Amino acid sequence: MRLSEVTERVSGAAARVPRSVYAVGGLVIAIIFPLLNMAGWVETAWLRVGVISLLFVMLSLGLNIVMGETGLLNLGYIAFFAFGAYTTALLSSPKFELRWPFLVVVVLSALIAMVAGFVIGLPTLRLRGDYLAIVTLAFGEIVRLTITNLQDFTNGPNGITGIYSPRLVGEGALESLGSTGPAAWLVIDKPVEYYYLVLACVAVTAVLISNLKNSRIGRAWNALREDELAAVSAGITASRAKLLSVVLSAGIAGFAGSLFAYYSNVISPESFLFMQSVIVVCMVVLGGMGSIPGVILGAIVLQALPQVIRQAAGAARSEFEVYRMLIFGIIIVVMVIFRPEGLLPDTLWRREAHEVDPREQEKTRQSLFDLEEGEKDLEV
Amino acid sequence: MGTILELQGVSMSFGGLKAVDSLSFDVRENEIVSIIGPNGSGKTTTFNVISGLYEPDSGDILLKGESVAGLRPDQVHDKGISRTFQSLRLFSNMSVLDNVLVGMHSVTDAGLIASMLRLPKVRREEAAMRVKAREILEMFPGRFSGPRQQQPAFSLSYANRRRLEIARALASEPALLLLDEPVAGMNPMESREVMEQIKVLRDKGYTILMIEHDMHVVEGVSDRVIAMDHGVKIAEGTYTEVANDPQVVEAYLGKRAAEATA
Repeated sequence: MRLSEVTERVSGAAARVPRSVYAVGGLVIAIIFPLLNMAGWVETAWLRVGVISLLFVMLSLGLNIVMGETGLLNLGYIAFFAFGAYTTALLSSPKFELRWPFLVVVVLSALIAMVAGFVIGLPTLRLRGDYLAIVTLAFGEIVRLTITNLQDFTNGPNGITGIYSPRLVGEGALESLGSTGPAAWLVIDKPVEYYYLVLACVAVTAVLISNLKNSRIGRAWNALREDELAAVSAGITASRAKLLSVVLSAGIAGFAGSLFAYYSNVISPESFLFMQSVIVVCMVVLGGMGSIPGVILGAIVLQALPQVIRQAAGAARSEFEVYRMLIFGIIIVVMVIFRPEGLLPDTLWRREAHEVDPREQEKTRQSLFDLEEGEKDLEV
Repeated sequence: MGTILELQGVSMSFGGLKAVDSLSFDVRENEIVSIIGPNGSGKTTTFNVISGLYEPDSGDILLKGESVAGLRPDQVHDKGISRTFQSLRLFSNMSVLDNVLVGMHSVTDAGLIASMLRLPKVRREEAAMRVKAREILEMFPGRFSGPRQQQPAFSLSYANRRRLEIARALASEPALLLLDEPVAGMNPMESREVMEQIKVLRDKGYTILMIEHDMHVVEGVSDRVIAMDHGVKIAEGTYTEVANDPQVVEAYLGKRAAEATA
């Protein structure tokens, strides 16, 4: 049996399970996971892997809007993550002795990333394909180099340290309640707390995006990707719709960046390398462009799997780090050859990849036959 | 009957080639007007100028007295002109129903936040859109019934894809419908059916400007016919008037044929 047949059968079986089952199942597993740690069965290190994986899930969900829905390749996506992270770091660290409330900082981080998205999107969205990829790649590098060289604000390569833990209620509010210090449960500083915070954010983001995908706006994005000329002739304002998708995806990255900064306490330019942008692109491609369950799976696989392998490799740890990118590359090449639509594909992209999906066609033929039995006009 | 569309001396050139040369005509309410002419006579360019894909070099295009020249295609569509394409341009991986729903984009208004939260008004709008889209698809009886609406557009037969393009253009209930060769590539039976459907559309109150090569169709549906050659309007009138015009015969068959019929 050929590999493609195997994947076809597996995905055939997988497609028969309703999507909601995956969503609920995934969420339940994600909720239970930290309990294993509390029970002492799983090391805390794995919880940290979980937090970072979830942050990458959020990044992938964001990038998927431009790549999967609107069909624009962004190779500098991590720059928006950096905007969010640095906004948070500056507003909530000893650097400028600021400690703005958590909610304000998170929202502001997302907004600043959105502004960055708007500024880069406005002049570049006329470009297509390769040209857009080059411009966004350059944008990502410019942002990183600016951060590295803007010593006064960002401490350059040393990064910003000592980012305060998020506090769900402002300090003033606590004092007015008669408390002297912040109550322990209102400060998020343990991995498990971060884990649930980020999980909640990811779940909400996924629901909001999936609503959007099945709306008028989502259809407009898909139409633009399929045939821009026909889409504008059908009344879709291309520039506005594309800009909206870029700004929204930037906002999600900024949001993730803010959580990342809070979580890691320290951020430096090396978290925002070009390779990180590529990895997020890989997550989206591996999982399935345009597919929300797909990109979630892609992000978890690419972020958590290397850690599992590293653990398994044991003594050969340092060796593994060297081959990490090579393995990513091989995975992507194999995927593109055997399953270009991704692990859990979106319907439109599966059609795009295969032109005619045999399974789907057989189903429709059968139902058409049932419907029109006796009518000779089946094909015209 | 009011004037829906009016072209006033519209010119459009590509480099040295004058594709459309000070073209003037009008389309009145609830009328079917056909543009005929040999290949390269500027018919499709005229459509592209009207629908906003090109900006005319000079002249003006009025829709119900309001200038639409130089607007972007989506703005022209908002004003009430929608079109089909000579070479099919469907969203081929999207479902039949979704193709029609995209055509309603400009007449619906669910915003970003409302759509993300799927507010009750968005749900109501979506439900209403679907009802409307099905109604439009039902205008082509038996062609887009039941499960076919969920099929991807590319899986349709050629004739049905053409019908779907018309359905998509109708989704916004345009003041003017531009059909670029609606029966191109169809067999005689299919084109007769489309012809009947075009007449039904007129009976429903639509105003149609179409480009067509099939003279049976042109004869069958047109209230007026405009003949073009080398970007210039060479004749206008009823089908019989235009078909017997010496200049039209010359454009199609050459000078000697024109002299022979004269």
